Amino acid sequence: MHIYAFGSICRGEIDSNSDLDILVIGGEYPAQYDPAIYSVYSYERVRELWKEGNPFAWHLFLESRLLFASDGRDFLHSIDQPAPYKNYANDCEKFFSLFREARAALNTASRSIVFELSTIFLSIRNIATCFSLGVSNHPDFSRNSAIRMGSESVPLCDRVYRVLERARVLCTRGRGQEITSDELKAAQESLDAVYHWMNQLVERARAHERV
Amino acid sequence: MSEFSNRVAAQRRVLQIVNSREWNGERLFGLSRNAIDRFAGSNNLDPTSGLLKLIESASSKLFFLANKSQEQVSEEYEALSADVAHIADELEIELRSF
Repeated sequence: MHIYAFGSICRGEIDSNSDLDILVIGGEYPAQYDPAIYSVYSYERVRELWKEGNPFAWHLFLESRLLFASDGRDFLHSIDQPAPYKNYANDCEKFFSLFREARAALNTASRSIVFELSTIFLSIRNIATCFSLGVSNHPDFSRNSAIRMGSESVPLCDRVYRVLERARVLCTRGRGQEITSDELKAAQESLDAVYHWMNQLVERARAHERV
Repeated sequence: MSEFSNRVAAQRRVLQIVNSREWNGERLFGLSRNAIDRFAGSNNLDPTSGLLKLIESASSKLFFLANKSQEQVSEEYEALSADVAHIADELEIELRSF
């Protein structure tokens, strides 16, 4: 068995929204570890992620730190580096699609407002991360990758960005203040700009793929 | 990714069903354990109630699928996806009498 820390703690970016990300890699499927607390993977699944050149494989390869190894070796850094990440254009498109579905749900007066805003935050963060890894060659796996792209950052004011981030924390960790109707309105009014930003990233990813 | 999208859609359906009811406390924000605990506390739900058991069951099946190997998943994924759809149907029935 191997245990790794990854995520914000390995980048030294701890804030009140940070969690401790722990990866447990075990035998066939290490079912004794609670997946609600740990990211639990089998060796087979990790090898698949490596072979696919999956962004999570690159995240682990570039930013994980070994905490425990039953065999005394650093498993993730003893295997070859992950395959090149080639699926970035499709991934960007799929996160764009995820965004559109969540936006459509909000526009049809969904009663699961927090979940939909959380999904929008997830799609924004993930499209930025996939773009940074596949296109700009400066991988950024942080939760705030979408606002760390300089002039290409997501066009959201800080207030709305923090509302979306809070929705994500409410959804995944059950912590924080509920989203108010004013905050929802402000977020909804910003989504057209996000739509165009994402559309542009997808088009650039497609163009990069053709080169 | 398509499985990822399917899991999001399955979560959306479960949340829509639960949140279609007017709750005295907060709505259900997500299917993480902490979000479910918060919802239960906010609405003074009995931890052993059928409703919470169904929500927890949908949650654990969705999180379980997230980390499974693609090869392991094919048949099991379909079975578990069907389970989540069935749980969603049961939730609709449970909420009628809640």
